[in-house]
Amino acid sequence: MTAAHAELVTLTVDGKEITVPKGTLIIRAAEQLGIEIPRFCDHPFLEPIGACRQCYVELEGQRKLLTSCTTEVGPGMEVKTQFSSEVAQDAQVANLEFLLLNHPLDCPICDRGGECPLQDQALAFGPGESRYREPKRVYEKPIALSPLVALDRERCVLCARCTRFCDEISGDRFIELFARSAGERVSIAAGEDFRSPFSGNTVQICPVGALTSTTYRFAARPFDLSTADSVCGHCSSGCNVRVDLRRGEVVRVLARDNVEVNDAWICDKGRYAFAHADLDTRITTPLIRDQGLEPVSFDEVFGEVARWSAGGRVAFLTSGRLPDEDAYALSKLARTVFGTNDVDHRRAPNGGHAEEIAAATPLATTYRDVERAKVILVAGLDAEQEVPILHLRIRKAARRGAKVFVIHPRATRLRDVAEHQLCRPEHQTYVLERIHDADGGDGTFEDRVSAALREAGAEAVVIAGERLAEHPLATDVALSVAQRFGARFAYVTRRANDRGALRAGLHPALLPGGRRVSNDVERGEVEAVWGGVGPADPGRSARQILEACARREIDVLFLVGVDPLRDFPDATLARRALANVRYKVVQGLELGDLEPYADAFLPAAAWSERDGHVTDWEGRSQPMRPVRGPLGLSRPDWEIFAGLAEAMGGDLGFGSLDELREEAAGLLAPRAVPERSTAWTGTGRPQLLGDLTLFSYPLLVDEGRLLEGADQLKAALEDPAFAEVHPDDAEKRGVQDGGRVRVKTEAGELDLPVRITRDVAAGAIFVPFNQPGSPANAALAGGFIEPASVEAVEAGSASNAEGAA
Amino acid sequence: MTDPIITANWGNPDVVGIDGYVAAGGYESLRTALGMTPADLIDVVKASGLRGRGGAGFPTGVKWSFVPQDTGKPTYAVANFDESEPGTFNNRELIERDPHQFLEGLAIATYAIGSHEAYVYCRGEFLWPDQVLERAIAEAFAKGVFGDDVLGTGYPMNVIQHRGAGAYICGEETALLSSLEGFRGQPRLRPPFPAVEGLYGCPTLINNVETLCNVPHIVRNGASWFAGIGPEKSPGTKIFSVSGKVERPGNYELPMGTTLETLLEEHAGGVLGGRRLKAWTPGGSSTPMLTDEHRDVALDFESVAAAGSLLGTGAIIVMDETDCIVEATRRLVAFYAHESCGKCTPCREGTWWVSRVLGRIESGYGRPEDLPLLDDIGKNILFRAFCALADGAVSPIQSSLRYFRDEYEQHIAERRCPFTGAGPGVQTHGREVEGSGLSEVLG
Amino acid sequence: MPVLAEDLRGNAEEIKARYPKGRERSAILPLLYLVQSVEGHVSRDGLREVAELLGLTTAEVEAVATFYTMLRLAPTGTHLVNVCTNLSCALRGAKDVYEAAHDVTGISNGTGVSDDGLFSIAEEECLGACDAAPVVQIDFANHDRVTPDRMRELIEQVRAGEIPTPSRGESPADLRHASRILAGIDGRGDGEER
Repeated sequence: MTAAHAELVTLTVDGKEITVPKGTLIIRAAEQLGIEIPRFCDHPFLEPIGACRQCYVELEGQRKLLTSCTTEVGPGMEVKTQFSSEVAQDAQVANLEFLLLNHPLDCPICDRGGECPLQDQALAFGPGESRYREPKRVYEKPIALSPLVALDRERCVLCARCTRFCDEISGDRFIELFARSAGERVSIAAGEDFRSPFSGNTVQICPVGALTSTTYRFAARPFDLSTADSVCGHCSSGCNVRVDLRRGEVVRVLARDNVEVNDAWICDKGRYAFAHADLDTRITTPLIRDQGLEPVSFDEVFGEVARWSAGGRVAFLTSGRLPDEDAYALSKLARTVFGTNDVDHRRAPNGGHAEEIAAATPLATTYRDVERAKVILVAGLDAEQEVPILHLRIRKAARRGAKVFVIHPRATRLRDVAEHQLCRPEHQTYVLERIHDADGGDGTFEDRVSAALREAGAEAVVIAGERLAEHPLATDVALSVAQRFGARFAYVTRRANDRGALRAGLHPALLPGGRRVSNDVERGEVEAVWGGVGPADPGRSARQILEACARREIDVLFLVGVDPLRDFPDATLARRALANVRYKVVQGLELGDLEPYADAFLPAAAWSERDGHVTDWEGRSQPMRPVRGPLGLSRPDWEIFAGLAEAMGGDLGFGSLDELREEAAGLLAPRAVPERSTAWTGTGRPQLLGDLTLFSYPLLVDEGRLLEGADQLKAALEDPAFAEVHPDDAEKRGVQDGGRVRVKTEAGELDLPVRITRDVAAGAIFVPFNQPGSPANAALAGGFIEPASVEAVEAGSASNAEGAA
Repeated sequence: MTDPIITANWGNPDVVGIDGYVAAGGYESLRTALGMTPADLIDVVKASGLRGRGGAGFPTGVKWSFVPQDTGKPTYAVANFDESEPGTFNNRELIERDPHQFLEGLAIATYAIGSHEAYVYCRGEFLWPDQVLERAIAEAFAKGVFGDDVLGTGYPMNVIQHRGAGAYICGEETALLSSLEGFRGQPRLRPPFPAVEGLYGCPTLINNVETLCNVPHIVRNGASWFAGIGPEKSPGTKIFSVSGKVERPGNYELPMGTTLETLLEEHAGGVLGGRRLKAWTPGGSSTPMLTDEHRDVALDFESVAAAGSLLGTGAIIVMDETDCIVEATRRLVAFYAHESCGKCTPCREGTWWVSRVLGRIESGYGRPEDLPLLDDIGKNILFRAFCALADGAVSPIQSSLRYFRDEYEQHIAERRCPFTGAGPGVQTHGREVEGSGLSEVLG
Repeated sequence: MPVLAEDLRGNAEEIKARYPKGRERSAILPLLYLVQSVEGHVSRDGLREVAELLGLTTAEVEAVATFYTMLRLAPTGTHLVNVCTNLSCALRGAKDVYEAAHDVTGISNGTGVSDDGLFSIAEEECLGACDAAPVVQIDFANHDRVTPDRMRELIEQVRAGEIPTPSRGESPADLRHASRILAGIDGRGDGEER
């Protein structure tokens, strides 16, 4: 329902008339008139509580004052705020006096100083002098709630914003109000960390300096900072952020409110992993291999690369992290200048028809749709770890009464609000098929899901995650489920601009807008804009490119913002590929593990240093703004691509971002994908890969490049590598909890500490992709799942002693 | 002189057991009620004019009628046996001496709102009374008063006893519900009102023990019988709990509208040792104190309000001429500071501040500007807090300053307590609030 | 060793079963009493076990436990002596009784445990028996009109291993027993006493 359908109420605030939907709180109605009523506990994204009592207003005809944050508007109400009511103003001053009784006078050393609602109000209308003669409350401080969040109880005004956030929004109820009366205080339980990937939001919404980030304590003053609005570059949530710099270095990232996207929240990775662009490993000059890698000019590199590429056997690997404009430039470069479709950004290759739709049609399913859904089916996605803000939106829907179902090999943090069906990774397709085919009844999980989907119709959302793309059919089966019940559908991949890359055609079979390379009409539409488009046959996928490299079928491999040794599931293949391709051109912020392989390096500007757009999982393209200029000689990727094109004797046809956008706009306009039956016809029975199945995906906080330098974040949230095994499987193999296991596949083996848990499906073994100690890709070959065997490593000393006795 | 109604059985120890209670005519009203429609039953209680005895005096029948029917959710009846208002002790004795009378009233109320599930929220500190009730409930189940087939009518009714754990605020009905649901006992926003969204988000009726004890008698004797007792707007009897400086402290069931004079002199034996009446609370510590001049005030909702106080729970705490009003006020405010749930600012900070200022005055560290300060803090707390607990704290502050300001001034001028001699270097009696540092000042 | 051994796990399940399905959180207070009946106070391990039983975080349980005064989060004497000092009792001399309790047990503050481990003292708010002021509870059993001398007698009686006869009803043997009754598993007196 939009506001237009809702019942409207007209009232006056300080004599000004306003009409708002029924149910609106007075404080919100006043805001719409530009009247700010002071508040501490009130937060537009949290439920009203009426605890701080700061927002008193007078209501004509009422004896008692009312808190405007808990009182809904009524027809004909005459509300008088502090601006027109002396009584309301007196009450606000008196309340401020109460709040300041025990508040320390440490503003000069408080991180909140200069941007503190309490300080602002005290200055604006607080009592100038305190009538309080007694000693103030004293607490030990600061208390480390986690490696990221510190608590100063003396500054706390007990507004309960932080605890309500953990209760209502994240569900990570590790901080609570303890005790009562004047002894009431925010606390964690002894021995229990505030281990939540959303913990930093509590710092941001704290209306005083009680909660502070360890990364920002004593780091800066608001007047020291320069600030720019941007979009987070970590995952496909598309969070709107504000980046604060001091002397050119990022010191803080904050969430910006956007009800269409991230509400008011970001995850801790987005908030605290900002150091990577400023690390010593950053390279900001072009390099070319002579004796070693020597600094040269861009033009020298371009010339060399053009010479290497003359034979035409060129391929491009990239990640889902190039901004929209740069992705478009690369897509065009590969096709029109190098004449190849060997370009790919994906890690999991089987998006199927769902991928084509995602490329063609942005915003078919949005955060709003998720929020309002009555039924949500999530398959192949660990939302909290992969797309955290989507996870929060699913929780929000659940709080509003949505039924949530999850199909996944491993329990997710939606567990308290969703029904999970844990199944081996290769069984997810089968579960989806059974949902598709179910005829009602309410016996099985599949019956319940299909019945719920049927009832909800268009008010249901089916979310297919990247894990499904491991199976050639699974995403399309999920799509068929959505189509059968009339549900909305979203294919959600993880990296910040995966969707933008897909839209731009960084895909061997798809051109911009999801147009198929192999379809004459669709290819023709691109040709009309570009002039030429390269071959009509689809190119190689990322994996096929690496295989071709390994077979020496490629001469020049461009690695644009990607490190196949770390980012792809088959480390051995990546190593062979790099060894067997003649020229490796690396473009990005640093060389890292690619240093021994690189023949040329092209320094790119960091996320925070460029203009452009980024497309979130919904397909929403949002502008990001440079918060500073590119370091050293580094340049935005699209400029590098334009330079390369020129060196190759070509021309990308745009000399500025505006020209680029103008050209791309037509090709990226939403288009309907012709109805096409999916390849899926039913597999009948689940296919078992083997005795056990190893599966892997990156956790939110791991050894990924973008997390380098985020030490406190890692201390708070990063686990060393581990393997999860179901108790039934453990028992059969004599594996004991807390011991070690050897996970063996054809590709390799891993020796890991084991957790025995029912949170992983029987028959499945989970190893996170890139935790410290043991990256999973040493044991992965084709993709992120792999047949495997597990055996206990040498029993621990305790059981030895037992045996000896 | 009206005969006692709800304390009529107090002389008969046999009624504690169900057989004795039945022999005395017990559970007949429940049988009668089960033969009526819920709507008729509610009409009878409405017509009787019975008002809630927990303090607020809301018409009981009207409250019953607010509970919506056919919502598709369960409906709950909750009895509030969290009697904690200082000076109040009638619920405890009603349960100790006649538990089945209460259970009968609860059963009738539960039936009247179409509920099958009743909870009794018991004060945890009432270890023995709670055991009396536990045994009575077990007997009632055994005799078919509760269970799948109440008195053979086929109406199922379950009763669950739930003990609190030491928090005055849980007597406030929304805080009680928070506590019963397993949360900290902090009050909740209204609306939604408990009648609509109460326990577990379902329609819920909450009644005080004394209120429910009246119900079987109204069903038995009729609405007009009850309405004919006492004043028109506050019909029935009230159990007045009398304590403090009187010769015969205790519970006295008298018609509403009985004057303090009658209660004190004819029933409670007058002020202890024949001393002069100095101050008294009409309805527990949360109601403004009155003085010797108010002896003739009739103890009913309207008359006490007209005298500038509240009938509250009808708990009369009597202070005589040797008692220090500043210390009495300090002790009461310290109670509110200790029992404040912590949720809202004026209550949490205000009661704490006042208790410290009063502690200073009582121990000889008062300053002349403290009295206007106390006036001001009281004004700034009153009607500004989340719930009525803080207003209760303001009652002793404002009333003592109104009637005994000279005594405060004397404390400040003499730099000591004129009654106890407490002053600089002389320790007074202090209460610690955990983590508050309160003891630093009062120690 | 868990705080709640096997037999008590059964009690814990019974307690949870009192409340409607999905509303087991309501059992938090009786479960905390159950833990207190084992250890004589509610320890960190106890908080954790209650959290596990209810599927809550330990913080959620501790937040509740610290709200209510009858749950003792610090080690407590075998017997808990509650002295009401609210107005009605104060007017009748509760302060002297409170001080006598300290003198005779040797406890110098309101939160500690006597050296023999037998006693803790708590200053109580109104115990709802103001006609019998000053009121003292030993392990939550009421003793009416207690004078300082009577307070000393009561303490001595407990020291001698007796259970003082309360003014009404029955008295539990100690705080652990009282906590068991409070958990709602021993209150009818028809079960086996622990």
